[in-house]
Amino acid sequence: MAPTISKRIKTLSVSRPVIYGNTAKKMGSVKPPNAPAEHTHLWTIFVRGPQNEDISYFIKKVVFKLHDTYPNPVRSIEAPPFELTETGWGEFDINIKVYFVEEANEKLLNFYHRLRLHPYANSAPNSNSENGHNPSSDHAKDAEVSSVYFDEIVFNEPNEEFFKILMSRPGNALPSNKTDNCVYSKQLEQEEVDKIDIGIEKVDKEIDELKQKLESLVKQEAINGN
Amino acid sequence: MSSSDIFDVLNIKQKSKSPTNGQTSVPSSSATNRAKPQVTGMQRELFNLLGENQPPVAIQPGSNFKEKMLSTSKPSPWSLVEFKGNTSVTLRHWVKGSKELIGDEPKESAYSKFDQHLSIPTFTKEEYDSFTNETGNQESVVNEKNEKNKWSFEEIEYLFGLCKQYDLRWFLIFDRYSYNESRTLEDLKEKFYHICRNYFRASNPNSPLLSSLNFSAEKEIERKKYLQRLLSRSAAEIAEEEALIVESKKFEMAAKRTLAERESLLRLLDSPHSDQTITQYLTSQGMSQLYNTLLADKTRKRKHDSNIPENPWMKQQQQFAQHRQQQQMNVKKSEVKESPSPKRTKKQRQEIQTALKRKSESAYAEQLLKDFNSDERKALGVITHGEKLSPGVYLRSAKLSTFKPALQNKILAVLQELSLPSRPVMPSYDVMERQEELLRKINTLIDLKKHVDKYEAGMSIAK
Repeated sequence: MAPTISKRIKTLSVSRPVIYGNTAKKMGSVKPPNAPAEHTHLWTIFVRGPQNEDISYFIKKVVFKLHDTYPNPVRSIEAPPFELTETGWGEFDINIKVYFVEEANEKLLNFYHRLRLHPYANSAPNSNSENGHNPSSDHAKDAEVSSVYFDEIVFNEPNEEFFKILMSRPGNALPSNKTDNCVYSKQLEQEEVDKIDIGIEKVDKEIDELKQKLESLVKQEAINGN
Repeated sequence: MSSSDIFDVLNIKQKSKSPTNGQTSVPSSSATNRAKPQVTGMQRELFNLLGENQPPVAIQPGSNFKEKMLSTSKPSPWSLVEFKGNTSVTLRHWVKGSKELIGDEPKESAYSKFDQHLSIPTFTKEEYDSFTNETGNQESVVNEKNEKNKWSFEEIEYLFGLCKQYDLRWFLIFDRYSYNESRTLEDLKEKFYHICRNYFRASNPNSPLLSSLNFSAEKEIERKKYLQRLLSRSAAEIAEEEALIVESKKFEMAAKRTLAERESLLRLLDSPHSDQTITQYLTSQGMSQLYNTLLADKTRKRKHDSNIPENPWMKQQQQFAQHRQQQQMNVKKSEVKESPSPKRTKKQRQEIQTALKRKSESAYAEQLLKDFNSDERKALGVITHGEKLSPGVYLRSAKLSTFKPALQNKILAVLQELSLPSRPVMPSYDVMERQEELLRKINTLIDLKKHVDKYEAGMSIAK
C-alpha cells in the first residue's frame, strides 16, 4: 500500500505525549541463561504512552541501536509494546529511531537516551560502590532504577489523512492528578508552570533592579558630565 | 624541428632579428647549444620552440648630455639706470631695454607700490587728554592702582613714533625702545592698543576696528609661558605625551562605543519585548532585507575589531570596491527615489497576499476543528498556531531555544540559581511556552547586567 500523497493542513499541529526511558534492576545470582557472566544488570528500554496507552496507531516501529559490543546492536521493535529488555554492565547512549505509520508520510524521529543502571549519588547516600561490581546488602541497591523522560511528539502540519487518524483517538488526555504509576499529569504540568512562573518573577525583579540602577547611573553621569 | 620550421609553416617572417639570415642563425644556435645541457626532462623540440620566441632586450642608445642650445635670436639689451627711491642716496638697477629707449631721467621703481605704511593715529596732548578722560573713568582707576606704570604723554608720543617708524613690528620696537622706564613688550603692546581703542571710541563709537583692538597683557604673558613650556619639552616628555594622546583617543573611542551600545540597550528596555510575528521577514524581499541588516551589523562589528595590519593592496582594492558599491547604492537610491511607489506597492501586495493565504489556511484549519471546544482540542493535542513553521515531526523538547555557548552557560547558571532544570520535566505546550519566556527574560537580564557592569567600570575610569 503506497502512501497516498495528501495535502498538509497548514498552521495546525497535533501533539502526542510519549514517555521514553529505561528501567534497570540489579541481577542477583539468578541470571537469564544466555546472559554473559560479566553482565550485572537487567534493563528495559521503552517508548510508550504516558499511561501505557496504545500508540501503535501512529508509530509503526521503534528501532533501538545499542552499543556495538552487543550482538546485533540494531534492534527493531515492529509491534507494541515498543520495548527491549537486555542485560549489561555499563551505561551508554541508546539511539532511538521512531518510525511513523505510512499514512503519516513523515520522516523518522531520531533521539538519544542515556541508559541508566545506577541510582543517582544523592538519591542513594551511601553508594560508595557505584560501579556495581561490589554486591552490597543495601536494599537501595536492589531497588529498580529508572530514568524516564516525558516528551511530546509534535506533528506540525500533518496531512489530512493522518490528521483524521490522529483525531479518531483521544490521544493527549493526561490524568488530572499524579498517581504512582503515572506522574505525568495535569497536576505536574501546572506545578511546572508555577515553578517557571516563580523563576520569571524573580528574573523580572532583578531586571527591574538593574534597570533602576542603570537609570540612576545614567542620571549620575549626566550630572557629572555637566 | 625548430621554431624556424614553425615560422615557416605559419608564414611568419622573423622581424625582430637582424637583417641577414646568416647572422641570426649563428647566435641563436649558439644560444640553444649553450642552454641545452641545462635542460632535462623537456623534449628537445619543445625547448627549441621556447628559445627564440623570447622577446629581445631592447637597449636604447643615447647620450646623457644636455642638448646644445639652439637660438637664432639676438639677446635683448639690458641697461643699468638710476631710479627714484631715496633722496639721500642714488641707487641703480637693471632694466630691460636699451639706454635710448628708457631715457635719462630716473623713474619710479616698479616695486615702489609695495612701499606701504600703516596709518598710526596721531594726536596732540589735548586730544589725548580729552579722549582718555572721556572714556576711561574706570580705567583710570586701574591706572592709578599701579602707579609705577604711569605713562607720561611724552613717552606715549615716543611709543607711537616708534610704532610708525617700524610699522608695528613689535620686536623691533621693543628692541629700539629706550625711555626712562623699562617696559616689557607686553606693556608696550597693551598701552598702544589701549590708547588706540580709546582714540577710536572717541572719534567713532561704532567703529568696526574696536573689536580687533583688544589686547590683554596677562593673556599674552600666559600664552608665551605656555609656548615656552611647550617648546622646552624633552624628547621623552614628547613621546610620553604622544602615547597619552593615543591612549585618550582609545578611551574616547571606547566611550563612544559603549555609549552607542547603551543607547541601543535603553531603547531595548523601553520598547516592549518583541513578540511580534516574523511575517515581514517571510517574503523573499523581507528575508533579503533582514539578511542585509544582519550582514551590515556583522561587518560593522568586525570593523571595530580589526586592528590587524592588512595587506595594503587588498585594503585599497576593498576601498575601491566599497567606493563602487556606494556609487551603485547612490544610483539605486536615486532610482528608488524616482519611483518609490511601484516598489512599495509590490512589496505590500506580496505581504497582503501571504497574509491572506495564511488567513485562509488557518481558517481551513479552524474549520476542521470547529466541532471541538478548547478542552477537547487540548485533549486531542490539536493546536492551530497560525504561524509559519516548517512542516514535519519533532520532539517538543528539541525546539527549546539555545544560545551561543558562552551565553548558554550563563543562562544555565541562572537557571540553576533559580533551582530550575535546563529541560523542563514535562515539556508540554504550556510549559514550553513559559520556559521560552523565562529564557528570553534571563537573556535580557544577562545583557542588562553586562551593560550595567560596563557602565560602572566606565564611570570608575571617568572618575
